[in-house]
Amino acid sequence: MTTSTAPVTTTGDPVLEATGVIMRFGGLTAVNNVDLTVNSGEIVGLIGPNGAGKTTFFNCLTGLYVPTEGTVKYKGTVLPPKPHLVTQAGIARTFQNIRLFANMTVLENVLVGRHSRTKEGLLSAVLRGPKYKRAEAESREKAMGLLEFAGLADKADHLARNLPYGEQRKLEIARALASEPGLLLLDEPTAGMNPQETRAAEELVFAIRDRGIAILVIEHDMRFIFNLCDRTAVLVQGQKIVEGDRETVQSDERVITAYLGAPLEGTAEAPAAADADADAIADAPADLPAEAAADPVEEADAEPAAEASTASATSTTGTEDEK
Amino acid sequence: MNQLPQQLANGLILGALYGLVAIGYTMVYGIVQLINFAHGEIFMVGGFGALTAFLALPGGTTLWIAIPLMLVAGILVSVLVAIGAERFAYRPLRTAPRLAPLITAIGLSIALQQLVFSFYPDAKKARVFPQIPGSPFNIAGMTIQRSDLFLIVAAPVCMLALGWFVTKTRSGRAMQATSQDPDTAKLMGIDTDRIIVMAFAIGAAFAAVAAVAYGLRTGQIDWHMGFVLGLKAFTAAVLGGIGNIYGAMLGGLVLGLAEGLATAYIQHVPGMQLFGGGAWKDVWAFVLLIVVLLVRPQGLLGERVADRA
Amino acid sequence: MTTTETTPVIPLPAGTARILTAVGATATAASAFLAWTWTSDFPGDLTVTGYPGGLQWLTLVAGALTLVLTLASYGLRGLRWTSPTRSDNGILLAATGGAVVTWGTLIAIGVELGGMANLEPGGWVAGVASALTLIGALGLPLDRHTRRPLQVLNKWWFTAVPVTPLLYLAATGVDSSRPVAPVLVVLAQGGLAAAGGVVLVQALMLLRTWLRLTTIERRTAPPLELPSWVEVLLIIAAFSVGLFAITFGIDTEYGELFTGYLVLAGTGVAALTKSGLIARLRALTVKHRPVTTGAAFAAAAGFPFTQSSDQYTSVATNILIFATVALGLNIVVGLAGLLDLGYVAFLGVGAYAAALVSGSPASPIHVAFPFWGAVLTGAAASMIFGVLIGAPTLRLRGDYLAIVTLGFGEIFRITMNNLNGTTGPNLTNGSNGIPRIPDLNIFGFDLGKTHTVFGIDLGRFSNYYLLMLIVTAFVVLVFSRVGDSRIGRAWVAIREDETAAQAMGINGFRLKLLAFALGASLAGLAGTVQAHVSYTVTPDQYTFAEALPPNSAFLLAAVILGGMGTISGPLLGATLLFLIPKKLEFLSNYQLLAFGIALIVLMRVRPEGLIANRRRQLEFHEADIPAQAAPSDTALTKAGA
Repeated sequence: MTTSTAPVTTTGDPVLEATGVIMRFGGLTAVNNVDLTVNSGEIVGLIGPNGAGKTTFFNCLTGLYVPTEGTVKYKGTVLPPKPHLVTQAGIARTFQNIRLFANMTVLENVLVGRHSRTKEGLLSAVLRGPKYKRAEAESREKAMGLLEFAGLADKADHLARNLPYGEQRKLEIARALASEPGLLLLDEPTAGMNPQETRAAEELVFAIRDRGIAILVIEHDMRFIFNLCDRTAVLVQGQKIVEGDRETVQSDERVITAYLGAPLEGTAEAPAAADADADAIADAPADLPAEAAADPVEEADAEPAAEASTASATSTTGTEDEK
Repeated sequence: MNQLPQQLANGLILGALYGLVAIGYTMVYGIVQLINFAHGEIFMVGGFGALTAFLALPGGTTLWIAIPLMLVAGILVSVLVAIGAERFAYRPLRTAPRLAPLITAIGLSIALQQLVFSFYPDAKKARVFPQIPGSPFNIAGMTIQRSDLFLIVAAPVCMLALGWFVTKTRSGRAMQATSQDPDTAKLMGIDTDRIIVMAFAIGAAFAAVAAVAYGLRTGQIDWHMGFVLGLKAFTAAVLGGIGNIYGAMLGGLVLGLAEGLATAYIQHVPGMQLFGGGAWKDVWAFVLLIVVLLVRPQGLLGERVADRA
Repeated sequence: MTTTETTPVIPLPAGTARILTAVGATATAASAFLAWTWTSDFPGDLTVTGYPGGLQWLTLVAGALTLVLTLASYGLRGLRWTSPTRSDNGILLAATGGAVVTWGTLIAIGVELGGMANLEPGGWVAGVASALTLIGALGLPLDRHTRRPLQVLNKWWFTAVPVTPLLYLAATGVDSSRPVAPVLVVLAQGGLAAAGGVVLVQALMLLRTWLRLTTIERRTAPPLELPSWVEVLLIIAAFSVGLFAITFGIDTEYGELFTGYLVLAGTGVAALTKSGLIARLRALTVKHRPVTTGAAFAAAAGFPFTQSSDQYTSVATNILIFATVALGLNIVVGLAGLLDLGYVAFLGVGAYAAALVSGSPASPIHVAFPFWGAVLTGAAASMIFGVLIGAPTLRLRGDYLAIVTLGFGEIFRITMNNLNGTTGPNLTNGSNGIPRIPDLNIFGFDLGKTHTVFGIDLGRFSNYYLLMLIVTAFVVLVFSRVGDSRIGRAWVAIREDETAAQAMGINGFRLKLLAFALGASLAGLAGTVQAHVSYTVTPDQYTFAEALPPNSAFLLAAVILGGMGTISGPLLGATLLFLIPKKLEFLSNYQLLAFGIALIVLMRVRPEGLIANRRRQLEFHEADIPAQAAPSDTALTKAGA
């Protein structure tokens, strides 16, 4: 397969190195030989039409799926295929459909995020020695700090379910940050947000980067991606077809084909689209052509989607997208 | 003396019984993800329904007439109880957390047992159930009771009928669709409420068939017979892969065989002399369940059911 | 738009209604001092004028409570604190309690002695007074819905009302020599009962529509600033009243009194909840948590000192065992959300382990461990079984755990029956169990002997009661501390969303196993004491459903009835579930039936239990609360492009 990678200024050492990741479900290949590197201090975007295998790839990175082939390394060490160990190693994630602990308070949600960075076990919880108290106080302090950072400090005692949608997204990010990650994976952080909220989310992502955390983000909103990312990879039908900065991606014909459908005989429309500015592409996926592009892939991804839906019948909105 | 054929025959007959009851668990679980704890009791009331029909017939009625009538009565009672339970106990809780319907099922199970125990005349002890008279058959070293003939005929017939229903009829296909994705099925115009009721009803009907077979086989039925048998049948359903109707029957047969063989042979295993015989067969069935969950949690024919994102 | 109003149900002038209530309540309370019947054949001796007896005490309390709340509604200084919300619904509840208890007693006298002629004038006074109180209370301005639509059952069900009597007649007409006749009669009776049920449910719906009662949240005056020591004294006073009330319940000697007690306790607590007093008290207890816990345990420890014989301390000891095990189960079910249906088997493992090392002559292992050794053995044995059962099942969906634990409970009993030397190796004496377990001796203190403390004789059961109380305190400590810690939060997170919890670095399997093993070892711990309390362990003590607690079904029911995830819930649930079968002997044949039906009804009506955990309440009523979750339509249009 061919990947045209534009020259990219590396900001630092690689944090995440995925090499040759292949994920097969039965005879269907959802992710096919994808390489992806995220360097420290970088914001990398991952885009692609529906069913391109973005979330499947994410799940491979976070240990939810065990890739059929390929390795995922975090800061040079191969990641174990268990979600909690991946988090332990330093990769935190959010979910496409928000998965907060809805009946816990905002603060408790963030405290749960601290789980992998604290050690206190059953015995010390019962005995409540000075060490336990210190650790608990420190956790609370850090959690409050993160809530402050996300602008939710005044709602610490609210139940997570009672937050407005945008704040639930923020809380999910704060909760992920609580595990002190070196890399944050955001799965469609602006899904369902209005333009103002999206802009606020942008600010938040930059602020997180400024804390020295590398970010890999899946998005549909191309304007958001291009504003945000130092580098963007495009996944189509499980394959990475292009990776590079805004111009590289926008001018790549295969991207346009993937998003707008293969040019017809006359190819009258395609060049026009290629010339269009970012806005055109940004808006395009929301319209019809993406639907057409997604169709052939739909089958390829049906298997994991079906599996997901049997597992959590309630999260239908979540599986909707990757179907 | 080689007792292997006899043990195999016993195991298969017992296993077919488990399998028939297991189908009820598997169908309901496949569609609403509920362990219908009261299913063992639905089996039990089916037995009492059949017994009532027998009592209502004039004395001396030939069993050729009595058994079909008993079967009809048993199925009627079981199905009515199952539909009633679904309508009034489970349906209002369909959106509640998992624990709520499960606890309702336990309450229902206890209540049904106690209703029969307290109110069915003379049900505080086991009640005599008719048996098919005549000497047992001897085939190739196996002794088969005449009463078991009913089950030997009924189990395959039931399975074939169910297989035909699920794959060939509109309702059967709707049922499969609902079990795969209830929400989408609903969007496709399938009346999921009706499908769920149907799953309960079919499971109950099979349980009633099993209850008649059980009564004929043991010569008696009692208010408590649903508990252990229900547990075994659930084990069979898990063994075969819960949600899979053929798996349920297969699981039942495997479980029956395992019990039969354990009863006969465990005591010959060095160091296990004291753990053989009928007293321990339930324990071995349970051990089998644990081993299956460890080795192949999805069951023999099942697909992966572990929670995933 | 307002949906609530404050109007009377019976249109009386407010002033008149209030006076009527006050006078009626006074008369009700006073009537308790009159003779209600002429013979002491009715239990409790209600024949004495000038001194209340038995059920009359309940009428007295109900009347007094109504009076106090009514006077508080006048704003009487010194009594205003009893009703911070000034809601008159509390008065109605108290008056209802009084009327039900009084009329229940009068009807019971009539039924048991054969006719209302057995009532003395005092009884009539009580009846009229309590009825007038109720009428007065219905005339008070109550918090009500402006309208409540009438619910009507499916009209076809009402066909049962004329049809079932006909069926019954037909059934009784069947030749009684035919074997099917008794079955038909029973079925027809069942039909009659069902028809009665339909009518009753419809009648209750009508009543609800007529009353239209609700609660209007009002701003209450801020509580008086009291010095801290006064608040502590108030808490202690409240717990003393509580201890007295519970002791009264445990000491009730006949079913009528216990029924009346339950009715009055229910309506009384409801009345005080409406009046806002309970909320005040709760605020105080939250403020002084250590004092509250101390006061609760001090009150509980005071119980044996109020008893002159072992009769009720043995009941109390068994309640404590039951409650402690229920609390252990609450860690598993309430915190971690794992449904354990064979929990009593872990109690059994602990009890058997303790019995085997107790030095009982019937134990094939001839050793006698000291108490601490036995406790550790029992807890460790239970924990090992917990891990053995949990490890294969906890990786799978929760339903598997339910069925595997149910199976384990049954297998435990079968195995203990079989380890008898004939069908298996001899370890447990089979169904005879291990008898003659010696009494515990802790640091030279023989729990089997009577000791005199503060001039009061503490018998064997008192000793075990106090020992058990220490175990209970330990379990409460573990529950509260672990529940509010990193581990407890992880459990709740797993219960809420296991995938998200794993993404937070939580090892779901390990933490679930931890909860399961912890629950098992706490049950084992309680089991070690239970073995000594009951002298004998037999397999049949540890079943899934049996008429007497503890058994797995009752344990689960105690947790659910009381309230999952709370500490006081299982304690209350266990107490009720232990006392109700014990005291209401007329129920004895139908106890389990009632229990099963109660479970079904409870799940429909109040799944979060009597004492609701805030979090659980939300979970169970998720559908009712308009959550501000994802605006899914916009999420779809954007994400699902």
